[in-house]
Amino acid sequence: MTNPFQHTSSSFADNPLFSPAPLGRQRRSSYASVASGVPGVFGRPPRSAHPVSHLLNPSADYDMQANYYATYRNSRVAAGLNMGRHGIPGEDSVPGTDWPSRASNTLPWFSRAFDPYTTNDPLYSNFSDAAPNFAAAAKGPSFLSPSYLRGSVYLQTLDEAHKARVLAERESFATKVQAGGGMAAVGGPHSPNSKRPSSAHRGVQFEVVEKPSVPKVDPAVHPLPSRWNREDKDASLEVMDDGCTVKHTGRSSSDHEACAIRADHSMPPLCGVYYFEVTVLNRKREDTTIGIGFSTRTVSLQRAPGWEPESWGYHGDDGHCFSAQNVGKPYGPKFGPGDTVGCLVNFRQGHAMFTKNGELLGVAFRNLDLREAKVKLYPTVGLKKPGDHVMANFGQVPFQFDIDGYVKVSFPKCLEGGGFVTSESCFCPSQLLFTFYPPNPFSHTNPRPSPLLDTDRLQKQQKMITDNIKQADTSKLAPGLSETKMIQFLVLQFLQHDGYVETARAFAEEINAEQVALNLDPNKSVPGINIKDDEDANNRQRIRRAILDGDIDRALKLTKRDYPTVLEQNEQVYFRLRCRKFIEMIRREAEHNSLLEKRNSSRYRHAEDDEDMLESDTNSWDDHMDTEDGIDSSVVSKLSHEALAYGIELRAEFHNDPRNEVSKHLDEIFALMAYPNPLKVKEVAHLLDAGARVGVAEELNSAILMSLGKSSRAALENLYAQTSVLLEDLRQDGGDGAFVTVQSVIDQIPSEAAF
Amino acid sequence: MRQASSSSTATPAKHGFEKRVADVQSPKSDINALILDYLTMEGYPNAAAKFSKEANLQPQQCESTIVARKRIKTSILTGDIESAIRALNEIDPEILEKDPPLHFELLRLQLVELIRKCNGGDINPALEFATNKLAPRAATNSEFLKALEKTMALLFFPHDALAPELKELIHPDLRQDTATKVNEAILLRQASRREAAIRELVKMRAWAEASARAKKKDLPDKLELGLYAEDSEYTDGHEPMITT
Repeated sequence: MTNPFQHTSSSFADNPLFSPAPLGRQRRSSYASVASGVPGVFGRPPRSAHPVSHLLNPSADYDMQANYYATYRNSRVAAGLNMGRHGIPGEDSVPGTDWPSRASNTLPWFSRAFDPYTTNDPLYSNFSDAAPNFAAAAKGPSFLSPSYLRGSVYLQTLDEAHKARVLAERESFATKVQAGGGMAAVGGPHSPNSKRPSSAHRGVQFEVVEKPSVPKVDPAVHPLPSRWNREDKDASLEVMDDGCTVKHTGRSSSDHEACAIRADHSMPPLCGVYYFEVTVLNRKREDTTIGIGFSTRTVSLQRAPGWEPESWGYHGDDGHCFSAQNVGKPYGPKFGPGDTVGCLVNFRQGHAMFTKNGELLGVAFRNLDLREAKVKLYPTVGLKKPGDHVMANFGQVPFQFDIDGYVKVSFPKCLEGGGFVTSESCFCPSQLLFTFYPPNPFSHTNPRPSPLLDTDRLQKQQKMITDNIKQADTSKLAPGLSETKMIQFLVLQFLQHDGYVETARAFAEEINAEQVALNLDPNKSVPGINIKDDEDANNRQRIRRAILDGDIDRALKLTKRDYPTVLEQNEQVYFRLRCRKFIEMIRREAEHNSLLEKRNSSRYRHAEDDEDMLESDTNSWDDHMDTEDGIDSSVVSKLSHEALAYGIELRAEFHNDPRNEVSKHLDEIFALMAYPNPLKVKEVAHLLDAGARVGVAEELNSAILMSLGKSSRAALENLYAQTSVLLEDLRQDGGDGAFVTVQSVIDQIPSEAAF
Repeated sequence: MRQASSSSTATPAKHGFEKRVADVQSPKSDINALILDYLTMEGYPNAAAKFSKEANLQPQQCESTIVARKRIKTSILTGDIESAIRALNEIDPEILEKDPPLHFELLRLQLVELIRKCNGGDINPALEFATNKLAPRAATNSEFLKALEKTMALLFFPHDALAPELKELIHPDLRQDTATKVNEAILLRQASRREAAIRELVKMRAWAEASARAKKKDLPDKLELGLYAEDSEYTDGHEPMITT
C-alpha cells in the first residue's frame, strides 16, 4: 500500500485500494483453477458442458449425443448436479465465501459453450446488485470514467468504444483458444511457476493470449487523460510506476526554468467540463514552486505552465495565475505540501478555474478559445525544485472538490434527462467503479455553492439551448407545410412505408375528420387523404404479423410466395429468421415447462393444505419435476426433440459459414438448450423475448422494401438519423450539442410504451 | 436491447454527411415509440389502438382518455366551444380554474365563433356574451383587455376585408391552435408532459441544422427528409401524399 493511487491503464484489478483481501481470494480461486485446469472451485462437473457440445462440434455423433442429451436433461436435476435454481451451475458452490462474486457465477474459462450467458455484456452484467461492486470493477479491463462525466454523451461514446474493444479482445481470445485446442494452449503460461502477475478472473483470459490483437478502438473517440506521459516530460522529472506520481530528481535549474510534464492525452472538449487534481507530496514546508495547469504539446517542457503562450497555470509559490506571461496576476492562496489543487476547464464557457483542497477559487482564465478545439490542451504540471513531488488524480479516485456537485448544479438539465442522457438510460461503469469508495467527506458534508460558481450563467445557457430548440423554426424542413401538417405527413408516410396498413388508414380517417371539422364553408368539399390499397403494404404487414406472432414458418412461406428473391438475396435476414424459428421452438418448450411447473406447484400447495403430503414437502424443486412431470412431460420432450433436430439442421446448414457473427449467434442460441427453463435465466431470457421478434420483422421488411427499389427508410427515420449526425457535429467542439441528444427525446416517452 | 434498422447502403452517398446519415441507426423501436406517443398524445385513438396492435406495443394510455381528449379537440375544431368547456370541466375543473389565460382564450374563441355566426345579422348574442363572460375577466388583465378589444373589432368590419391581425382571428388556425393548447393543458395534468416527443425531435432537427449552418459545418446545401417522393433521392415509389 505504499502507493494507494496506483493505476494501471488496463485494469483496476491490481489496485490495492480495491480491498486486497476479497480480491486476493477471487484472484486466487480463479487463478488456481486455471492453473490446474480443473474447474474445481466452480463446483461444476465438466460433463455438464455436454448438452450443447455436440451442437458446437458438428462432427460429433448426433444420435448418441441426442440420446444422451435427452436422458441427461430429464435426469440431471434429480441427479443433483448442483446446477442451481436458475440454471447457473455452481451458484452456491463456493463454500464459506461471503462474497458471492462473479467468480462463483462464472463458468470455467474454457467453457466457451457457456460463454454467452455470462459474458454477453462483460461490463454490464447484473451482478452488481448481489455482489460488492468491486467484484465487477475487478473483472475486466476498464477505462477511466470519472463520476462527474457520468451520463454524458462523451462517456457514452467512450463506453461504446470500450465495449467494442472488450468484444474484440474476447473474439481474438476465443479464436486463439479454438485454434490452439483450448486448454492445452492456455495451460502453459499459467503454470504455478508463471511469473506473470495474476489478475482478476476476467483478466486471466486476456493474459492467456500471448499478443492480444490490436484493439479496434474507434480512432475518433477521444480518450481521457489517465496518467503522465513519460515521453512528454523534462529529463529531470521521474514518473513513478503508477503513472500519476512525478518527482523532480534532477538538479536545480535557473530562475527562468522549470521542469514540466504533460498527461498522456489531451482534455476532450466533448465532455464539456474537464477536471483533474494534483496533490503536493513534498515533505519540507518551504516555498513550493509548483505550477499546475494545462498546455499544448508545443510548449517547452523547461517552462512552468503559464509562462509560455498556449499554456496556463496556477503557481503555488505566489498564488498567482499565469497565462502566457512571466508575471502572473494575483489569483488565489499559495499552496504547498499536503495541498491538493484542482484544475477545472469549462469548454462550454471557455474558462478555467482552480480549486484548493476542495474549495473552488473562481475563474482564473476567461475567454479561452476552447470550443473550436483547434488546439489540444494537456493537463500539465511544472516542478521547479529538486524534491518537488506531486501526484495527479485524473479521476481514478474521488476528487477533493465536489466536481459532481458542480456539474450537477451547472447543468441541472443533465440530471433530468433533458439534456444529458440519464444514468438510467445509459449504464455507465463508473457506477461500478466508484460507488464503493468511502464517501468523500468534502463532497457530502460540505457542498459549497460558491458565489464564484457562476451557476446562474450556466443555467441560463442551458435553458437557452432548450428554449432555442423549442422555438426553432421548422418551416424550412418541409416548405409549405405547417409543423402540425408536416408531422402528420411524417407519421403517415412512416406508417405506409413500413406497411402498417390498418393504422395508416385509421390515422388518415382521423386526420380527414379534423379537416372536415375545421372547414368553415359547408359548400366546400374538403380534400381528404386517400390511402390507396397497397398490395405490397398488405403483404408486408401479413409477413410482419406472422413474425410478431412467432410463426416463423408462415413468415417464411409468405415471403417466398410474395417476394421469392428476397431471402436468397438477403442471406443475413434469412439466417436470422431461421434462428428465430429455433428460438421460438425453445420458447414454446420453456413456456410449456413454466406452465407445467406452475400447475405442479399449485397442486403441491393444494396437497399440503390437505395435509396429504408427507415429508415430500421438504423435497427440493428437483423432485418436483421428477414426480409431477409425468403427465405432460411427453409434450415437453417432444418439443425438445424437435428443437434439437431443428438445431442440428440449422447447424448443418450454416456450418460452413465463415462469418464470425453467424457462428457466434448459433452458439448463443444453441446454448439455450442447456437450461431447463431459459425464460427464468435473466442472462439469456432476452434472447427469447417476444420483443426481439420486432427486430427480425423489421429487418425482413427493410429487405423487402429494398428489393422493391424503395428506400429502406421513411422520412421520419431520415429525420432521426440526420438529427443524430447534426448533433454529433455540434458536439465536436464541446458546444451546445454536447448537452442535447436524440435519445433524451426518446427517453421522455413513458417506458410503459416500450416493450 | 434495441433493434436497429438496416441502414440504407444502396444509396450512393454524394456528400460525406449523407453517408454518415446513412450509417447512423434509427432504431425501429425508437421510431415506433415516437409514433405511438404521437398518436396517443395528439389524440388519434383509433390509429393509436391499431398501431399498438400492428406493431406489438403496449398502449401508452388507455383508450378512453385519448377518446375524451379527442372529443374536446373535435369540439374546438368545429367551433363548438361550449361543449368543449363543459367536457373539459368534466375531466378536471382545475385545468381551467388554474389557468386563466387558457380559459380566457377559449371564451375569446367562443366569442369569435358567435361573431362568425352573426356575420351581417343579429349581433346581440355576441355582445351579450362579451359583456357577461369576457368583460369581467378582461378587467383583471390588460392583455385580456387588448385581446377582447381586438376581437370586438371584428364586429365592425366585413370579414372578407380584414386587416391581417384581425384576419387571423377568424382563420381556422385559431381553432387549431386553441385545440392544441387545451390538449397540452390536459396532458400536462394527466401525463406531466405537454407535447409529443416527435415535436421536440422535429424542432431539434431544425435547430441542429440551423446551428450547424451558423457554425459553417460542412453540410450539403439541402438536407432532404424524403417526405415528398419527387425531390428526394429516397424516392420510395409512393404517390405524393400532400393533398391540401
